[in-house]
Amino acid sequence: MRMERVGNPLSGYLKENPQAKTILAVVGVIATVIIGIILVNWGVSSYGFDGFVVRASKAFVDGLALSMLLFLMVSGFFLIFGLCDIINFAHGAFFMLGGFMGFTIYIGTEAFLLDIGIFGTNYLMLSIVSFISSAIGATLVLALIGGGIEFFTIRRLYGNAIAQILLTVGFMFIITQLAEIAWGSSVITYFIVPNSEINYFFIDGVFDFGGALIFEVYRVFLIFLGLGVALVMYLAFKYTRIGLLIQAGIEDSEMVEALGTDIKRLLTIVFMLGAGLAGLSGAVLVPWIGANTGHGLTYLIYAFVIVVVGGAHYGRFEGTFFGALIVGLSIQFAAYFAPLIDSVIVFIIMAIILIVKPGGLTGT
Amino acid sequence: MRNLLEIQDAHVYIGSFYILQGISMVVPKGEVTLLLGRNGAGKSTTMKAILGIHPPSEGQIVFKGENISHVPTHDIVRKGIGYVPDTRRIFGSLTVEQNLVVSMRPKGLEEPVNERLEFIFDLFPDMKRFFKQKAKSLSGGQQQMLAVARALMNDNDLLLVDEPTEGLSPLLAKNLIEALDRLKEFATILLVEQNFRTVSKLGDNYYIFDNGKIVHQGDNMDELVSDKELVAQYLGVSI
Repeated sequence: MRMERVGNPLSGYLKENPQAKTILAVVGVIATVIIGIILVNWGVSSYGFDGFVVRASKAFVDGLALSMLLFLMVSGFFLIFGLCDIINFAHGAFFMLGGFMGFTIYIGTEAFLLDIGIFGTNYLMLSIVSFISSAIGATLVLALIGGGIEFFTIRRLYGNAIAQILLTVGFMFIITQLAEIAWGSSVITYFIVPNSEINYFFIDGVFDFGGALIFEVYRVFLIFLGLGVALVMYLAFKYTRIGLLIQAGIEDSEMVEALGTDIKRLLTIVFMLGAGLAGLSGAVLVPWIGANTGHGLTYLIYAFVIVVVGGAHYGRFEGTFFGALIVGLSIQFAAYFAPLIDSVIVFIIMAIILIVKPGGLTGT
Repeated sequence: MRNLLEIQDAHVYIGSFYILQGISMVVPKGEVTLLLGRNGAGKSTTMKAILGIHPPSEGQIVFKGENISHVPTHDIVRKGIGYVPDTRRIFGSLTVEQNLVVSMRPKGLEEPVNERLEFIFDLFPDMKRFFKQKAKSLSGGQQQMLAVARALMNDNDLLLVDEPTEGLSPLLAKNLIEALDRLKEFATILLVEQNFRTVSKLGDNYYIFDNGKIVHQGDNMDELVSDKELVAQYLGVSI
């Protein structure tokens, strides 16, 4: 990872004055607690105690669900950045296209299954099979698109950062424009149920804890799905040869090549993996946020914020996880408590974190 | 075939810098060939030229009778070359075990992996002790041993070893040289070393580099050690 490290005068001062560091830490904790109390107090006075608990728990569940999916998307972005040294501006577009692929494959599979009548009126099985096909299908299609883009264009431009940025920005516009031609502008959002022939999606209900404490099952499902995929990725990185090679390549790709691995092939594989993860997260989010041609830019910006907040640009993979948690939770808490600022909250938090810790949460 | 590797009039540019200005040399099979000279003389670049990281723009490099001048790095390495780079370049976030795993090439070993590991543990007992530890937590000397061990995870005919004793204490350097001495019977070694005294007993023949050219060569290490003028002129030390 070759990124300029900027010296932080504050950290230099604190290193020389450990007492000041202790005082600052205590002040920091006290300030956080006070701000927390003020925010909770404000929430309780605005919405009443019950209203506050309901909103906070909903924001927490939704925030976790969004975080997990953002984490999957951003790990793809991180892998491409880490190994290929490429800031993939088309990553948001991959995510958006993943949504449309998921939507289209779901509806197509459902129609096909209804056509051949394999499940009869067993709509549950029909929906499950369509959902799994849409998730796998979107992952594969995006992996192929990502791999194709890497193989035919980016491969010729390694080491030329400006050209890579222009190229991936170009792909972002091209993919977005093609999607708008096919599915219309960002005014329209496609959801599964209204477009389904049987008006049915298998995860539909709510967990009802009485009163207004109601959680949509799908969002809870997304938390576990995200965690499951993250766990598979973790195991694959730790225990498979290719996972270890990718980690080694992120540290020193020339050395990996000098040990006998075809690094170009590894770069293509990583690009496919990264784009596939964007496709997967886009596809499984469709039942919640739908497919929309405007998602590309929004989620690209989220990806940047997550990387910077988490400090993942210092090569810390865990940074993407913490960054995604902060971004996902803050978006949802803002949506439930201060909807007016929910589109800018991530930038406010990014600014605060960068001032306090310029390297992000895990960076140096 | 007496010579495992031959370099014929190789010219290498890195960017716009003309680094190797027509070098020719041979690496006889089963021997240790030393590349000596000051910093920036072109020794490490010669290794990178052999590996195809900085391929020659003119001239050719022949390994086991085959011209490898324009073969991709990973294909060159797969023909049987192990590389121990000068700044170790171990993968710090991986454990010692994982460093060794990623260094194994498919079909790179004929014997079972365990036997090879036993050999490495015998050579460098610390590798066994710290097998499950992150490589970045190792000391400089241990990291250097890992860098050598990595090159031993395949059946290599040629080992390119770049400044292995750099930054090591005299005792550690001595241990490492002893380990390299034991490796002589398994592979041909091309060794870059600035401090030629530490390796003078190891070498069978040598080339002295200066400003991208070979200025002297020979196969009598004792003669070199006693040639004060040559040593002072090109190796930067006076006796």
